Amino acid sequence: MIETTCLSKRYGALLALDEVSLRVEAGEILGFLGPNGAGKSTTLRILSGFMPPTSGSASIDGLDLLRESLKARQRIGYLPENFVAPQEMRVVEYLRFRGRLKGLSRRAARQRVTEIGERLGLGERMRQTFGALSKGFRQRVGLADALLADPPALLLDEPFGGLDPLQRQEFRDFLRDLAKVGKAVLFSSHVLPEVEEIADRVAILHQGRLQVDGTIEELGKRAHEEAPVQFRTEGDPVVLEQLLAQDLLPEEASSLKREGPFLTVLPASAERRQFLFRWLAAQEQEISEYRTLAPTLDDLFRSSTA
Amino acid sequence: MTAFRALLRRELWSFAISPFSWVLIGFWMLLNGLFFSILLRSADVQSNLGMLPTYLFGSGGLLAFLLLPVIPPLLTLRLFAEEHRLGTLEPLLTAPISDAAVVLAKYVAACLFFLVFWLGVLALFVLLQFYDAPLDWPRILSAFSGALLASALFLAVGLWTSSWGGNLILAAAGGAGVNYMLLFLPAMFSGGTGRTAAVARAMNIPQMLEVGFAAGLIDSYAVLYFPLLALLFLYLTWMRLVSRRWVP
Repeated sequence: MIETTCLSKRYGALLALDEVSLRVEAGEILGFLGPNGAGKSTTLRILSGFMPPTSGSASIDGLDLLRESLKARQRIGYLPENFVAPQEMRVVEYLRFRGRLKGLSRRAARQRVTEIGERLGLGERMRQTFGALSKGFRQRVGLADALLADPPALLLDEPFGGLDPLQRQEFRDFLRDLAKVGKAVLFSSHVLPEVEEIADRVAILHQGRLQVDGTIEELGKRAHEEAPVQFRTEGDPVVLEQLLAQDLLPEEASSLKREGPFLTVLPASAERRQFLFRWLAAQEQEISEYRTLAPTLDDLFRSSTA
Repeated sequence: MTAFRALLRRELWSFAISPFSWVLIGFWMLLNGLFFSILLRSADVQSNLGMLPTYLFGSGGLLAFLLLPVIPPLLTLRLFAEEHRLGTLEPLLTAPISDAAVVLAKYVAACLFFLVFWLGVLALFVLLQFYDAPLDWPRILSAFSGALLASALFLAVGLWTSSWGGNLILAAAGGAGVNYMLLFLPAMFSGGTGRTAAVARAMNIPQMLEVGFAAGLIDSYAVLYFPLLALLFLYLTWMRLVSRRWVP
């Protein structure tokens, strides 16, 4: 549904995006993570049709953003970072105007604005001017705008910014509901727990390069497989360390560390992880603790963007 | 078409509720009203009321030359430059509306709103008619048409300079500067012989307004000149939007 292939963007000498390839299927939520300046907003702006890439391609529902921009934009609901509407316009008027701009008939625009307004809890705010709204309600207006024409693809740039915890929860539920009805959702965020909670997949961007892309399960599994193992022995850890070092592969031996009664080692593969477990079980020393130091998404984010 | 109409309506509505638009209209009407009353007291005009259209709609009055190149860019600066500055351009340009429709809707809205400026001046003649003044209406309407065509050109220039970016001063000053050049440069070079002078004469807007429209002569060349030149600036505006979207 949403796809980029080797997308690059250069601002003068600065390479903001470096061959980023992404794919979001219908019904899927992709959380797009990265520190400030990583290239998240640039990717979303290219996908929204606002700016072109320097190289590579982007498409929505198979429609190329450059060659079939208008048709592709009909399939997008886009919430820019720091969404702004004309300050003097009342919310209801603005949303009706946006509905008409997106090709809805007058009647359909009125109906849809009422529906979306109710769904997003805009209520009495619909009669206020945009300039009088708080940041949270401005975000809701932006999301309402993105959803007006019921597009199959949603691009949301930092949609949780400025929302209070209650609003965030409502927003998360809303995004999940949208994915359930088949929308492809790509949203950028700095709020890791939120991404972990609602995204089916996570992509981590750093300095314009895609560092990580996978489902939460895949990342969890990968994190588990690539995580060091730590165990505690009731016997002499120095003796165990010496014994273990003899049976480890060279790269594993170099990762072997002793901290008090704890020994830590990074197995070279899943098989080696099992080997280590069997090896420990075969020792005549009592192992009182055994754990995998699997990183959280937060750790993964930190290590990917370090 | 739905999107075009929606944008046109919004732009007209925005002009209508903008205090700045009404300040401009007020300023315009005040100066034109004062000028009108001064003209009515002058011996030239009292002896020949047929001079009035030339003064108010054509190049006969200094006022039209001073105001006309400046007011349209001040009106159009909000169409792109202010949207750019406020951040509302991004939602507009990512909506499923073609760049050509965006340019045209904004331009038509500006033209329709500027019509109010000139209708205010035309109302002065209607007022005079109530006092049974012997007015030459075909000539007045001809001069009025010339003023509208020149305004349409200056609005197109203003729209183009508004698309340069988010700098409002640059948009207004740039538009006024280009308009003054269009108005005065050909007139400066139209004397003498040679190709340059011939080209300058063909582009001499004051001449077209004074000798043509204000005198009651509607020249087909002038009728085409203004829209075609306006079209060129609309094309440049469209190119500006297109380049933002397409040029890496």
